[in-house]
Amino acid sequence: MIFVTIILIIVALYLLAGLVFAIPFMIKGVTVIDEGAHGSSWGFRIIIIPGVMVFWPFLLNKWLYASKMKRS
Amino acid sequence: MSASYAAVGWNKQKKIYDWLIACLCFIYLLLFISVTLIINEQATFETLLIRSTSTLAVLLLHIILAIGPLCRLNKKFLPLLYNRRHLGVTMFTFALVHGSFSLFQFHALSNTNPIISLFTSNTNFGSLAAFPFQVLGLFALIIFFLMAITSHDFWLHNLSPKVWKTLHMFVYLAYILVVMHVMLGVIQYENDPVFVIMIFAGAITLVILHLLAGSKERKLDNMKFALQREGFVYVCPVAEIEDSRAKIFYIDKERIAVYRHNNKLYAIHNVCKHQGGPLGEGKILDGCITCPWHGYQYLPHNGQSPPPFKEKVSTYDVKIIDGKVWLNPAPFAEGTERPGAEIK
Repeated sequence: MIFVTIILIIVALYLLAGLVFAIPFMIKGVTVIDEGAHGSSWGFRIIIIPGVMVFWPFLLNKWLYASKMKRS
Repeated sequence: MSASYAAVGWNKQKKIYDWLIACLCFIYLLLFISVTLIINEQATFETLLIRSTSTLAVLLLHIILAIGPLCRLNKKFLPLLYNRRHLGVTMFTFALVHGSFSLFQFHALSNTNPIISLFTSNTNFGSLAAFPFQVLGLFALIIFFLMAITSHDFWLHNLSPKVWKTLHMFVYLAYILVVMHVMLGVIQYENDPVFVIMIFAGAITLVILHLLAGSKERKLDNMKFALQREGFVYVCPVAEIEDSRAKIFYIDKERIAVYRHNNKLYAIHNVCKHQGGPLGEGKILDGCITCPWHGYQYLPHNGQSPPPFKEKVSTYDVKIIDGKVWLNPAPFAEGTERPGAEIK
């Protein structure tokens, strides 16, 4: 039971971190990594939130890389 | 196909498709609940909800998995493929309702967290007759969840088509988990074998459809092209290619579509940039090669999507000598304009 509890806590913390990440990503990040998001509706931004919560480390990496490329 | 993302990519056809899905689901639920109440007047609301949504999700899953091979066997099924992702999200929604109510019904009435209870209340993993089948359902639901949340084109573009496709191929693992979930559940709770027979028939049908479709594709891929001249390969007589349609040829491990349009032949790479759809199985609409899967379009002479869209596919040289079509399988860079071959 302890093992299952620990796994569940880790998953919950991971998703919570993803939810926190989703806020700045929805506002700015999404348009930095994908030009198709320019002028997109808030409906689109809301609909991708569950995916952002799951794939946030990948998206964070992509966002950092895109920002670095823009600067250079 | 859109220049900037929308929440749901609806058009007239997709709205009709979604209305049909909604009506069929409603009719199914109504019929299932009515028949169950006639057979068993004592059935509770929870039981009706859990069973009707589970059987509907399993039925939709079978339809979803059958659409791919059916389209490869007969083009008449292509309209079913056009909005399959909405069918997938619908299936996930019913599976989620089934899973949530089951979790509540069987695991939420004690002091233990329901998900912890799901994993710890039955640990007979070594016994077939008492196997904790609910865990299998949960893992299948997790796969369906990952598929549903990545069903938007944003994910296809950002995860890359290869990763996206690999993720969505896990539907077959989820299907195996669902079959085991149902079979083991029925063994433990049912005396009537009707559910086992139905899911067994469904699985056999899917296996046969996939084998037939695979065999058809293999025949196409094994086609030999013996005649070669200056880098060009003889593929077929001109008359075999219908106007506004294409024939697909598999040469040097690449599929190439040769299209006939405005009395000319054009050759482009057969794989759509969107989800890898077979462009050669589509047709020319409004002067554009239109993918049969989701309607992505490309201009025949340069393989580019019409502005403002930016997708591009490779183009190839094609020529006609004495009514015979000769194709050069060396690709030009994606979006390169080619003159095509005039049919005299």
